[in-house]
Amino acid sequence: MLTLLEQIDKGTIWRSHGGIHPPELKALSNRTAIEKLPLAKQFILPIPQVGDTALLTITAGERVLKGQTLTAGTNFTHCPVHAPTSGTITAIKPMPSNHASGLPVLSCILIADGKDEAIETHTSEISKLDNQQILKKIQDAGIAGLGGAAFPTHIKLRPASDIELVIINGIECEPYITSDDRLMQEYSDEIISGIAIIERLLTPKRIIIAIEDNKPEAFEAMQHSLNRSELSSDKTRITSVPTKYPSGGEKQLIQILTGQEVPSGAIPAQLGMLVQNVGTAYAIQDAVINGQPLISRVVTVTGQNSEKPGNYWVPIGTQIDYVLQTNGFKGKLEQDKVIIGGPMMGHSLPDIAAPVLKGTNCILLPSSDEIAPEQPEMPCIRCGECAVACPALLLPQQLFWHAQAQEYDKAASFNLNDCIECGCCSYVCPSDIPLVEYYRVAKSALRTQLEEKKQADFAKQRFDARQQRLEDEKIARENKAKEAAERRKNNMTGTDKNAVAEAMARIKAKKAADASADTSSTTPAQDKKAQVAAAIARAKAKKSLSSEATAISADTTDVVDDKKAKINAAIARAKAKKAKQAASADSGLTSEPSNTVAVDDKKAKVAAAIARAKAKKQAQAGNGEHNQHTNAAVASEATASEFKVQTDVPQSAEEIKKARIAAAVAKARAKKAQIADSAESTRVDAVETDVEKESELNSQADVTQSPEEIKKARIAAAVAKAKAKKAQSTGSAESTESTESTESTQIDAAESSQQSSQTDVPQSAEEIKKARIAAAVAKAKAKKAHTSDNVETVQTVAATPSDVISQADAPQSPEEIKKARIAAAVAKAKAKKAHTSNNVETVQTDAATPSDVISQADAPQSPEDIKKARIAAAVAKAKAKAKAKAKLEEKE
Amino acid sequence: MAFKLASSPHLKVQLQTQSVMRRVILCALPGIAAQFYFFGWGVIVQVILAIAIALLSEAAVLKLRKRPILPTLSDNSAVLTALLIGVSIPSIAPWWVVVVGTIFAIVIVKHLYGGLGQNIFNPAMAAYVMLLISFPVQMTSWSVPLPLAQTPMDLGLTLNAIFGAMTPEQLSIYKYGIDGIAMATPLDTVKTDLSLGLTITESLSKTIFSDGFGVGWFWVNVAYLVGGLAMLKLKVIRWQISVGILASLFVCSSFGYLLSPDTHIGPLFQLFSGATMLAVFFIATDPVTAATSVRGRLLFGALIGVLVYVIRTYGGYPDAFAFAILLANLCAPFIDYYIKPRSYGHRAGS
Repeated sequence: MLTLLEQIDKGTIWRSHGGIHPPELKALSNRTAIEKLPLAKQFILPIPQVGDTALLTITAGERVLKGQTLTAGTNFTHCPVHAPTSGTITAIKPMPSNHASGLPVLSCILIADGKDEAIETHTSEISKLDNQQILKKIQDAGIAGLGGAAFPTHIKLRPASDIELVIINGIECEPYITSDDRLMQEYSDEIISGIAIIERLLTPKRIIIAIEDNKPEAFEAMQHSLNRSELSSDKTRITSVPTKYPSGGEKQLIQILTGQEVPSGAIPAQLGMLVQNVGTAYAIQDAVINGQPLISRVVTVTGQNSEKPGNYWVPIGTQIDYVLQTNGFKGKLEQDKVIIGGPMMGHSLPDIAAPVLKGTNCILLPSSDEIAPEQPEMPCIRCGECAVACPALLLPQQLFWHAQAQEYDKAASFNLNDCIECGCCSYVCPSDIPLVEYYRVAKSALRTQLEEKKQADFAKQRFDARQQRLEDEKIARENKAKEAAERRKNNMTGTDKNAVAEAMARIKAKKAADASADTSSTTPAQDKKAQVAAAIARAKAKKSLSSEATAISADTTDVVDDKKAKINAAIARAKAKKAKQAASADSGLTSEPSNTVAVDDKKAKVAAAIARAKAKKQAQAGNGEHNQHTNAAVASEATASEFKVQTDVPQSAEEIKKARIAAAVAKARAKKAQIADSAESTRVDAVETDVEKESELNSQADVTQSPEEIKKARIAAAVAKAKAKKAQSTGSAESTESTESTESTQIDAAESSQQSSQTDVPQSAEEIKKARIAAAVAKAKAKKAHTSDNVETVQTVAATPSDVISQADAPQSPEEIKKARIAAAVAKAKAKKAHTSNNVETVQTDAATPSDVISQADAPQSPEDIKKARIAAAVAKAKAKAKAKAKLEEKE
Repeated sequence: MAFKLASSPHLKVQLQTQSVMRRVILCALPGIAAQFYFFGWGVIVQVILAIAIALLSEAAVLKLRKRPILPTLSDNSAVLTALLIGVSIPSIAPWWVVVVGTIFAIVIVKHLYGGLGQNIFNPAMAAYVMLLISFPVQMTSWSVPLPLAQTPMDLGLTLNAIFGAMTPEQLSIYKYGIDGIAMATPLDTVKTDLSLGLTITESLSKTIFSDGFGVGWFWVNVAYLVGGLAMLKLKVIRWQISVGILASLFVCSSFGYLLSPDTHIGPLFQLFSGATMLAVFFIATDPVTAATSVRGRLLFGALIGVLVYVIRTYGGYPDAFAFAILLANLCAPFIDYYIKPRSYGHRAGS
């Protein structure tokens, strides 16, 4: 097997399918040299001629010189239009186009002044130009394919892929047309140097100049010039191709010269090939070497209605009627056609005021007996001659059948879009069916359909987007309404609210208890079991403590005195609770509230004591256990114990109520959190909370021993719970993201250390109440945080606890309870705000808020507590800042 | 400025439907001449009668359909259909046979389906089958080839026979050969003899096979073959369908003949008897009712060849082209649907 290049070198020619041999009638115009047409008085220059967009660089009334650019491009594809002679642009308005429709297009009307003054042009040496400069020159010269399609040449010469084979098309297979023939005969040297420029740009492996065998003079002239040129003869050859229409079609020519087919919908460049017309090669040479823009071209004027058939250099923009006038038109406009292009593919012109364009290679003026008479269309007899003639191997009779029935989709399934509209089928049709016309109609109908479909898809997209937007807005409105309702609820009198919350909490707790088998079993036994569970939790926490972070352990070691230890323990419990909430989807949590509510002070205290004792023991005993499973279980139990601790709080009889309220609130929150949590987030939380528990629990064990400080511990516990919840919500929001969860864990750790110092504050026994109130407030805030799921709110919440804490510190002197409450209220309000706004900025503000709150709360302090409160406040602020920072970093 | 506007191309080959049809008719003349030589005036009378009826009935239908009459009549397609009916039916069949057949072909088979280019079935063959089923006696009463006839018919006798001036008894004498034995067509003879238990060799010893292929019929086939080759040369028809039929019929009959020469007709006998060449070049090639792609036409032809062989060998009728062509007509849209040529730039199969 020879390679393709070897076969090309041998001059192998392949067969292309179909095709016809219409009378050539070229002798009419190819006997005389190319003449110059006298300059017209008026030119019409459609703007833009090639491509869709252009910017005008002149205004009406401006004087222009020959070769002056009239348009500027908006992008790389721009192919500029030049003035063909010097004169004045008198108007810029729609004029009849050189198109089968004759529809007016925006054109510059140039009235020549007859001086034919040209702009300055520079000749250049190709060897001194780089490829980009050459391409720039080609683009600036406005060169477009002169074979008829008028595709901008500078785009074609900058292909995306490597070009191995350049084909120079000198076939000119249409009957009558001889412009390329004459050009090759008279300007072969120029064409060859144009080809050399193309070679320079693309460096192909081979260049084939293809000329039909009915142009022997052109072939000889080209061969002669080629032999004289510096183009290597190994690389460049001239191939004579048998005369057949439509061999000059790009796809057909490629098939004839290489045996390959351009895939449907592709361009030759994808095969590594590129086809350029000889006229284009001439224009490239003129532009690059002589600096001349493309302002005139060779046009064949021929046909029996032409007085002097021949080829002429016609400035682009010259009106057809001027050409007819100068050439001598013998026909009658009413009955004879004026055809632009050849007889096979050219279009008849509705208005001869239209101008000559870059792609206008022929003006055919046939007499009425020269071309096919109008014949009535006869029925198709399916003779199949069209299929024999079709160079694209289509089944024109089937295409016709479907096109006629307007079944365009079926026509498309017979590859209608591969039709090149060469006209062979119409030419051979015995029934005089204008097949190509049917295909054109069908093609444009398909295009329209496609366009409509695109529009419809677009409309659907818009509609969907609108639906989505409306839906989102609706949800947003609902959320707003919900929030508003909540706000109203919060604004209700404390007692009302508490009562409601309590009731709600109880109901929920019951439901939850019913739902989970484990919890239900715990529920009846209530205190004891809960305590046991708490103890276990602590024990486990201790175990895990062994693996805890050093920072945390440092904290715990710092806690020297019992109180603090106890506080820690309480915190741990609280955290354990949270963990439990998180861990068990069925929510052992929910059982807690009911427990707590049911229990009375004494029992609770007793239970708490027992629990602590047990916890210690178990803590010592249970060091070995480590698996997560147990932790989770422990967590759930721990919660129960916590709640008991809570219930212990209201030791002073009158305050039981308040405590309960707080407890209820806490429970309610817990539930919400639970509900909101997805399974994954639960896992994460569990892990986090465990870590927290551990650190605190080890100190806890000692703590619980001194009974009189239970109260304080409880307060701490409440605070801790609030924090835990927040932490939990953070966990849920972030769900599986481990980095974030780690962060929150750290935050918690920090908090817990803080808390220990804070909890010292409420030393005076009678201020427990206040503390509790604060705790309740904290819980309430935590709850809010829960309900909102996004990270930002969680952050806000994280900030909130510090407020709460400081508040709790605040009301140390009994008479200042009021003030403290006010502070608390302020804090709450701020917390809410923070909630409602979800963005980072608010979070930052919130982080700042606590300090304010703290200072407010601090105001009514009894002097000796001011210090502590301040410390707490400072701590809170520090924390808040740290968090804010952390979040910011996270965001970044 | 009113210019004449037309869509490209502006050049056209001047070969139109009517001239295509005219060329087909002219190419059929050698075959008709041969039939005239061997079977007398009957064929001429039948053809003229059929053409007259066809033009009349087509004009009537066009008037009813409110279509232009003259342009349609001048496309020569009705004339061709009539000619094919005229040469297909026995030359001495009564006049009403050809009249009924032609009206059926033009009115029902052609125009009720929408006229030229729209009919599913070949009008001539549909009419032939209708006649064969409806009037089996008249449709199988071929006269004895003149060289073998006891009493050769002249024009007057033929006209008498066709237009009913003869009783069946009088008519029957024209079916006797010179040996005084009633003669059928060669294919008919073989079929009857095979059913009587005779071998092909024994059957071929009869007078009608005195020239080896069946007197008259061989030369009629040769004449149609010549006409067909002329059509190919003139590019009035394309070769695929004809070659498809001939090849498949040849292959099938060769197999049969090689397997059992005593009970199967040889391939050459198959190709040069009955309506083979007429059908191969003039009837099956009707483009309207055939497949249109190159491979599709080959398949279409091959299908006809196989069906002809099967029906001739195993069917109840001596000749089979009418049935085979109608069955293949039914398959043509199907073939066209599934056998599409590979378009330029498309890979095979897509």
